Amino acid sequence: MNVKFLTKIEELLGPFSAKLRKHPNLTFVVFGLLLCLVALLPHLGLMNFGTMSIIAYITIYAVTALGLNILLGFSGLISLGTAGFVGAGALGTAVFIEMGLPFELAVVLVLTISGSIGALIGLFSLKVEGIYLAIATLFVGEILRQIYTQVPIFGGNSIQIDGGIKLLGFIELSQIFKEQRSMLFVLLVIIMVLMMIAMNNIIKSKTGRALLAMSRSEHAAQAMGISLLKYRLTAFVLATLFATVGGIMYAMYFQTIPTTSWSLDLSLFIIAMVVVGGFKSIYGTFLGAFIIHGIPNLILKDLLGDISYIFSGVLIILVIIFYPNGFVYIWVDIKKGYSKLKKRLQKDVTTDGK
Amino acid sequence: MESKKTILELNKVSMHFGGLTAVDELSLDVKEGEIVGLIGPNGAGKTTVFNCVTQFYKEYTGDIYFQNHDGDQVDLRDYKVTDIAKLGLIRTFQNVELVKDLSILDNLLIGAHHHYETGIIQHILHTKKARSEEKRMKEKAYEILKFLKIYEIKDFYVAGQPYGILKKIEIARTLMSDPKLIILDEPAAGLNDQETDELETLIHQIRENYHTTILLIEHDMGFVMNICDRVCAINFGKFLAMDIPKNIQKNPSVQEAYLGKDE
Ligand SMILES: Nc1ncnc2c1ncn2[C@@H]1O[C@H](COP(=O)(O)OP(=O)(O)OP(=O)(O)O)[C@@H](O)[C@H]1O
Ligand SMILES: [Mg+2]
Repeated sequence: MNVKFLTKIEELLGPFSAKLRKHPNLTFVVFGLLLCLVALLPHLGLMNFGTMSIIAYITIYAVTALGLNILLGFSGLISLGTAGFVGAGALGTAVFIEMGLPFELAVVLVLTISGSIGALIGLFSLKVEGIYLAIATLFVGEILRQIYTQVPIFGGNSIQIDGGIKLLGFIELSQIFKEQRSMLFVLLVIIMVLMMIAMNNIIKSKTGRALLAMSRSEHAAQAMGISLLKYRLTAFVLATLFATVGGIMYAMYFQTIPTTSWSLDLSLFIIAMVVVGGFKSIYGTFLGAFIIHGIPNLILKDLLGDISYIFSGVLIILVIIFYPNGFVYIWVDIKKGYSKLKKRLQKDVTTDGK
Repeated sequence: MESKKTILELNKVSMHFGGLTAVDELSLDVKEGEIVGLIGPNGAGKTTVFNCVTQFYKEYTGDIYFQNHDGDQVDLRDYKVTDIAKLGLIRTFQNVELVKDLSILDNLLIGAHHHYETGIIQHILHTKKARSEEKRMKEKAYEILKFLKIYEIKDFYVAGQPYGILKKIEIARTLMSDPKLIILDEPAAGLNDQETDELETLIHQIRENYHTTILLIEHDMGFVMNICDRVCAINFGKFLAMDIPKNIQKNPSVQEAYLGKDE
């Protein structure tokens, strides 16, 4: 490898990366397109459908964790009830569809209900801080979990969406058929990309700045006219909506929704994704979902079997030690390393010339 | 000066913390276009006065009036702390309060928060109106950044900037809100001599270019004497004197309050 080779690559990618820098939302689209290719692989015999499902899980978790990042990364708030809202999205969609409502209406209803509960928690968060807020949200999640397992409309261990999801009243997509499963996967990726773009637009706007101002200095925020009530509500409503969308994605893809999976474990895993992947970073959140869910299930499990979780645990601890703001910030180090390498190669060239 | 309108008026304002009287029946007024200094020894109650004026404390007694954009006198008590900026009254903090993990530019945009008319839905959809509004705010910020000579570093994070720059960013942020009255809590604290001189010029320029009135707390007497049209001295929350700087220096009760202290 020499310096000419590196500059050549830079020149080739130059116009492309300049365009992406100008339109940051385009990077999410490119990312989504690449991820969509996964939907083809099982049909070419290059991947099994189980692997595609694991990646589907990652997109669901990524969307959910994005919402939590609004709380943890931007607003300095916490919720231990995330799983409850993912469950609300998944189970709610299924229940409404089984009641005979069209898919779109089911989605709107579920989002409205979840969002309202989120708003209530936001109101409540004005009264309690820190560990007390954590405990309060823990119990919100716990209450929701109890409702899912005890209330008969959720019907025992799981709910099945019979006949699959019907989009716009005529596009039927069922998990049973392989082609349709791939279509559902693409749909999940599209939703994830849209949520990433929404997130990016929020955090680059007045709202994102207000959330940060609120968490970094309450007094300055208020003096600038930022209402704590409004932005705590905004933060919690957004976080619950993202989690609910994650649940809706689950219902769309898997179409059989267990009633017992929406417990504290899941909430903690989602928190880990934000912490490990990257506070305040959209790609970091995806990376976190990949590290926490993808690495043990996609890679380590085949190599190590059941003890893979121990290894992923160790990996996570290492990441936290070396990248306390999230593993995504390794990117900064890579860039630094790259320019160092280039400088060294350049020096070699000039000394060789002598 | 007599003909000028009063922009801020405190009428027998008192503030208690438990048994402690931090502000004691304090009355003072600030006229349009003035630069007024509020001085007093440590713990005299200066910051508490600012907190009452900006409605961080609501439990004060007495009245605080402010002249709003329409020229009407309003009782500040009727406004929430978050509505004060909209009235045209904006402050800085004794301990610089900025968002460290945002760029300097973004910190300025926070100062324009109440000017935004578009809401979160428009931001998510990135509508034309939202984009043009954001662009307008940024251009306004660029102007202020150039005026303060920190335009070149606008995209850097606030974290890691030297103290002198942090103080400038805080002042720049106040300008984003189109203030009628800026109140500064110890703007020169922590600055070196050269930076303090620069700040003097800057404050005068702000008054001229942005047509604002300025009320400031400061311990640096040289600075206060150079810059202020009038100075109000307080001790133990009580009014001592309010006059032009020359007379304040000669005032026996002020001298007594500062006796045994440097400057
Ligand atoms: N929130 C509070 N609770 C209780 N006492 C307070 C509070 N804020 C201020 N005080 C007390 O009120 C008095 C006035 O404090 P203040 O901060 O207004 O003084 P200051 O003039 O700004 O002093 P400095 O020059 O040191 O900034 C002090 O005795 C202080 O201890
Ligand atoms: Mg003070």
